[in-house]
Amino acid sequence: MKWMGWLLPVLALIVIVTVPALREAAMGFLDGAFGGRNMFNLWSTLSRASMLIGMAMAVLVAFRSGLINLGGEGQLILGGLTAALIGIYAPLSPGLLIAVALAGAMLVGGLWAVIAQALDRFLGVPLLVGSLLLNYPANAFASWLASHPLRDVASGVTQTEKINAAARLPRFAGTILDYGIFFTLAVVILVILADRLTVIGYRLRMRGLAPLFARAQGMPSERLGYQAMFASGAIAGLTGFTAVFGFSQRYIDGMMTLPLYAWTGIVAVLLAGIVPWRVPLAATLFAVLATGASGMERVVGIPRESSQIVMGLLILWLAGAGRSLMDNRK
Amino acid sequence: MPAPSQQAAPYRLRNISKSFGPVAALRDVSLDLRRGEILALVGENGAGKTTLMNSLFGLIAPDSGTFQMDGHEGMFASAADAIGHGFGMVHQQFMLFDDMTVLENVLIGAEGPGWLGRVDLAARRAEVMQVMDRFGFSLSPDTQVGDLPVAARQKVEIVKLLYRRANVVILDEPTAVLTPQEATSLFHMLRGLADESRAVVVITHKLAEVMAHADRVVVLRAGQVVAERRIAETSSAEIARLMVGHDIAPVAKTSHTQPEARLTLDRLVCSGAGRRVGPISIEIRAGEILGIAGVTGSGQGPLVETLVGLRPAISGRIILDGSDITSLGVAARRAAGLAYMAEDRMRTGLAIEASLADNAVAGREGAADFASGPLRRLPSIAEFGRHLIAQFAIRATGPEQRVAELSGGNKQKIIIGRELTGAPQLIVAHNPCWGVDIGAIHFIQGQLLQAAANGAAVILVSSELDELFALSDRLAVLCDGQMTALVERTELDLGRIGEAMAGAGVAA
Repeated sequence: MKWMGWLLPVLALIVIVTVPALREAAMGFLDGAFGGRNMFNLWSTLSRASMLIGMAMAVLVAFRSGLINLGGEGQLILGGLTAALIGIYAPLSPGLLIAVALAGAMLVGGLWAVIAQALDRFLGVPLLVGSLLLNYPANAFASWLASHPLRDVASGVTQTEKINAAARLPRFAGTILDYGIFFTLAVVILVILADRLTVIGYRLRMRGLAPLFARAQGMPSERLGYQAMFASGAIAGLTGFTAVFGFSQRYIDGMMTLPLYAWTGIVAVLLAGIVPWRVPLAATLFAVLATGASGMERVVGIPRESSQIVMGLLILWLAGAGRSLMDNRK
Repeated sequence: MPAPSQQAAPYRLRNISKSFGPVAALRDVSLDLRRGEILALVGENGAGKTTLMNSLFGLIAPDSGTFQMDGHEGMFASAADAIGHGFGMVHQQFMLFDDMTVLENVLIGAEGPGWLGRVDLAARRAEVMQVMDRFGFSLSPDTQVGDLPVAARQKVEIVKLLYRRANVVILDEPTAVLTPQEATSLFHMLRGLADESRAVVVITHKLAEVMAHADRVVVLRAGQVVAERRIAETSSAEIARLMVGHDIAPVAKTSHTQPEARLTLDRLVCSGAGRRVGPISIEIRAGEILGIAGVTGSGQGPLVETLVGLRPAISGRIILDGSDITSLGVAARRAAGLAYMAEDRMRTGLAIEASLADNAVAGREGAADFASGPLRRLPSIAEFGRHLIAQFAIRATGPEQRVAELSGGNKQKIIIGRELTGAPQLIVAHNPCWGVDIGAIHFIQGQLLQAAANGAAVILVSSELDELFALSDRLAVLCDGQMTALVERTELDLGRIGEAMAGAGVAA
């Protein structure tokens, strides 16, 4: 019975609304995700959602093509780092600086992803392993740059200098949300349209669904693999750019890793069943979960880490439902 | 109820019927198994052999009918029930864990865990070794099964049965994956089991081995027993006729072979699994259907994949219409007029999770019909899907339906329709009629004949000899990676082809 599936959630909702203590916690959650003075928390949720959506779209492009790219974090870090270096040191006009930093971030993120695919094709290092391991040198390198040669010593924090202030992405008036979200939304629209309407989107989809079939029909499987990995890494790089030119204005050690953007992106894609239009919704859900949990912590003292428990349960459920990482393996 | 005429038979299947949806797989089948005897159960694909044995073994519940043996009446409820009553079955696809050792595979499910669930491996090991010694199996118990060749894996399956003290041993198409020599030694071993008063049942459709090794043969056709013969009292020609329902003399087929060569293989050597296939030199003319016969695994797969460009050739040349295509990829070969009907329909022939229309345009997704520049022309693609559904009478709800939801025959029709669109010059078809119903077989064979009549060269690789006899203008035989015969249609002869399949070279 289909309606049986709704029974438990509806009952839970009734319980939450009727029991005062639970209601308070729920209100704290909603306030944390959407409320606050001038709806501050809503903008903060959206800002986080923008990062998660970007990383989820990066993962989506790879997964949809049958490529298990677990290297989103490294690609994100190097993209952000590249954007920061260009933003700090390139003597360009603000508009040009943004364009060059964006292109650089995408190029570096894309190339870092392509390395993992090349390792798979030439040395037989499974992409899943290679892409994952490449996260560590990327993070260590960025961490070293931010703590030694490029460190903003005066600030006392392991972070680089600020980028050229004139080139930073503007914020929506009276909020902390910056125009970086436009880049993310552009990616969402482009990926969804490319998947549905373009020949390469079709080929990547077939490659992901049935790799032997794609090859036997004469699709350029090898090249498609590199293209998909480059696109995946480039989207991660773009996401890094929006963080550096948007909310942080510099590269701060740990800014990409601590909020688990890349990993949450993977979970969002799996939750969405690797279906493009659902991915931004799933990613937004996780942003709400994280900021809402902070609100709950403030109001009723439930630790915000509880959101990690929810996410862990989700992963467990996804694994049980058979939508494992390995589904689309080639 | 009249007393059964064969009072002596200790295992009696009576009046078994089974339908899958509208298809009657078994109709009122009765069968006796006797101790000390090798029974061959023969019939074409889809005749019901495997369904019958799966019913006996408790894997399928028949709609009606029963089973009788000493002290037991009724069908087995499950495989475990059957095993408990001394039955053992080796399935066509081996049920082994590749990552575990021979010993572990033999023991699994029969570990006899003792106190606190501990498995007494040393004692079990001694028992398994004893079984292997007694029947002369030379298998190392600590080898990983994944490292064993196919024939040895089959032995592991048989040791599994013997360890469980099987009195009735059923093997489903055991020789499909074996070389002729391995097949012979398998039958010697089975004879040994029969001599110890076991009942042995071999499902097969290879008549040579039936004649050579069985005691009795039961012929199934379209779910019914059409004959039962003692081997001494029959001939392979009679069994063949009984299986097919008519003589398998070549069907009246007009030759459309044109004088010019369409495809030339010049000392082509392909890389197979662990050995080379070839060198093969042959010329295939426009309008000609070249059949390729051989025991499964004789090199058909590598040859096909090399022809279509999925596997690089080791040496030699492939020349299509005068131009060398040896180093071209699949896409370039398709552009030059290649069509490919892959053996593995579910993974290579189709993307079963994608829509019918997406499958129908694959290979031409970038052509002007279906794309303008980088953009797909979705209306044209859907239209083409509808066109295929109409032209090939595919039972589907529409071009958006997921291919996984269609039946085997309808899936294959999508492949046939897609590959025959655009008048291909060279068609490589690998077991195109495998596992589809009789109506679809008729349709697919008709399409291949029509394509040849229109001037295409057709390479038909099949494991069904009667199909090859019916369609081929010439028939090549592969054995162990070598072409052992090349026979004109007028000189086709079952005995001669059978010898060539077993490795006896026949001068073309």
